[in-house]
Amino acid sequence: MSTSAVSSTPIAQPGGRRVLDQVLRFQGYLGLLIVFVLGAVFAPVRDNTNLFLDVPNQMNILRYVAETGIIAIGMTLVILIGEIDLAVGAVLAFSATLTAYLLTGGQFGTSTAFVAVIVAGTALGFTNGIVTTGLRIPSFVVTLAMMSFARGLARLIFGGVSIPLLPVSQGGAAPESAFFFSERLFGVLPVPALVMFALALGVGAVMRYSAFGRHVYAIGGNPVAARLSGVRVDVTRVVVFAICGALTAFASFIHAIQLNQGAPNDGYAYELNAIAAVVIGGTSLQGGIGTIAGSVAGAWMLGMIDNVLNLNNVEADVQLLVKGALIVAAVALQRLQRRT
Amino acid sequence: MKSRVLALAALAATTLAIAAPAAAQGKQYVIGFSQLAFDDPWRVAFNNQMQKAVAKHPNFKLVLVNAQRDSSKQIADVENLLTQKVDALIISPNEAAPLTAVVKRAFDKGVPVVVLDRNVLGEAYTMFIGADNKLIGKKAGEYVGKWCAEKKFNPCNVLEVTGLSGSTPAQERGEGFRDGIKASPSVKLAASVTSEWQKAKAMPAAAAAFQANKNFQVVYAHNDDSTEGAYIAAKNANLDLSKMLFVGIDGLPDKNGSIVSILQGRLGASFVYPNGAAEAVEWVSRILEKGEKPPKKVVLGTDEITPANAKAACEKYDCEFK
Repeated sequence: MSTSAVSSTPIAQPGGRRVLDQVLRFQGYLGLLIVFVLGAVFAPVRDNTNLFLDVPNQMNILRYVAETGIIAIGMTLVILIGEIDLAVGAVLAFSATLTAYLLTGGQFGTSTAFVAVIVAGTALGFTNGIVTTGLRIPSFVVTLAMMSFARGLARLIFGGVSIPLLPVSQGGAAPESAFFFSERLFGVLPVPALVMFALALGVGAVMRYSAFGRHVYAIGGNPVAARLSGVRVDVTRVVVFAICGALTAFASFIHAIQLNQGAPNDGYAYELNAIAAVVIGGTSLQGGIGTIAGSVAGAWMLGMIDNVLNLNNVEADVQLLVKGALIVAAVALQRLQRRT
Repeated sequence: MKSRVLALAALAATTLAIAAPAAAQGKQYVIGFSQLAFDDPWRVAFNNQMQKAVAKHPNFKLVLVNAQRDSSKQIADVENLLTQKVDALIISPNEAAPLTAVVKRAFDKGVPVVVLDRNVLGEAYTMFIGADNKLIGKKAGEYVGKWCAEKKFNPCNVLEVTGLSGSTPAQERGEGFRDGIKASPSVKLAASVTSEWQKAKAMPAAAAAFQANKNFQVVYAHNDDSTEGAYIAAKNANLDLSKMLFVGIDGLPDKNGSIVSILQGRLGASFVYPNGAAEAVEWVSRILEKGEKPPKKVVLGTDEITPANAKAACEKYDCEFK
């Protein structure tokens, strides 16, 4: 890693430095905490209720964050091995449209449709991995191509228009059970958020305790050293891209259910949101360093910013400015950490 | 009875026999249509209506090309159509400035050029047919005023969900709406959030607005998709939907469009943003076959679709319901 800046960095007192180090270790969560506090301070208050801190509002944020969060989990793995996946937005559009298509076709139940959608997403991710490793083309290029391919596929197969996805009880054709994903547990906790946390815990555990997880970090840290020490680098890479595709497909299933539609034009710039979440969460774009939990925190922070600005009825153009500034601030903090 | 049917059939057969060769002998025309993109439901409906309008003229053949939102591709598309020697050019330009020159080239060659929806610069085209976003916004505002008065809500709080901030249609649909509600003092524009035209963004934005203020009677969004997103947010917030009005713009006939939504009881009203396909083909026919001189500019009106006329609108626009 780059250490050239070390000498020019003024050195703080050793004691203070250690504290700073500790704080910066949790930079991903620190950003979340700061935004949370700022949100609470600047939130409008009505009937003695802080609208931001109000539980239903926090649940709305979680619901909104879930899709980006789930995609960001897969994106973290991809970035950890020093690659990138620009196709997730288009893959989401394709799989969401496929979800609506399968669920309203009348032939498939919820579980069959779900499995088919996950398989389709996994196949697209797998293709990214195979082409990247097999043809030795940078993943930036391969997934850029997949972005165009998946979007085109979605439009072509489903005729460019969106497919309505409503349960039978609301005049639609989809089985009621699919709408489990738009419900709230005990009327409070949105199921999509629950799915996000469960997946984050699961994948996080795999990353921490399994050989696969160690290989992912090893490849990102130094692919040559990883290969020399017996890690099957290419196989691991392909698996990582396939996992990213599968998680994107999972997010797309939730996306379609929540929006009551599958639209080939959805998911624009979702790849950028997911990458932003991962980077804000402290994962290095060079690979090798980063955590799943950090990425989920990053996605959560982005959702919170959106929510606070909307609660205060801040003008859309100003929202863009504030969001941009906050993202840079978060990543600047991360660079500071690298130097110390 | 039976003989009458037979007689009718015979009559129809002879009419067909006479008409068919006449049509075959009539001059054949190739109409080139350069569309800026095929990728959104409004443009898909646009293209369908164009194909349907052309099919009504058996001696017309349509060549439809897609610029994929790329002005330089659209310039090449038009050049290509001119090379194919189309008899008339219909174009919905991606951007005004880059396409002005190539449209002028076609016009100077003597090819009738009908510009749709977005205009080019200058006057070097045969005619322009477009909609009036301000007018549509105003009609929506007036409708909201009427509804609020009927329901006796005072104040009648409106949540506006705007399109992409800074885009012309979003600006005009906003301004027109403000004009439309001026005559109704009970109508109060209580909050405005943006969805950038996207349902997925309308949902959290509206959810935050409902969190800040539960007392909304009306949601007005600049497009139907965003109205639907706000509808889901209102449902999630447990608002009483039966006491609320959801208004959008587009009035699309596809199965995910607002005509079906109104028939299903979600949206309360939508205002058609017309594409001018039928009018364009009609004018091309009058120019080519009758030598008429068209007006330079035609501004299309809008159709107000409400539960009262949704069934009729469904038939008129050939909507996909059931």
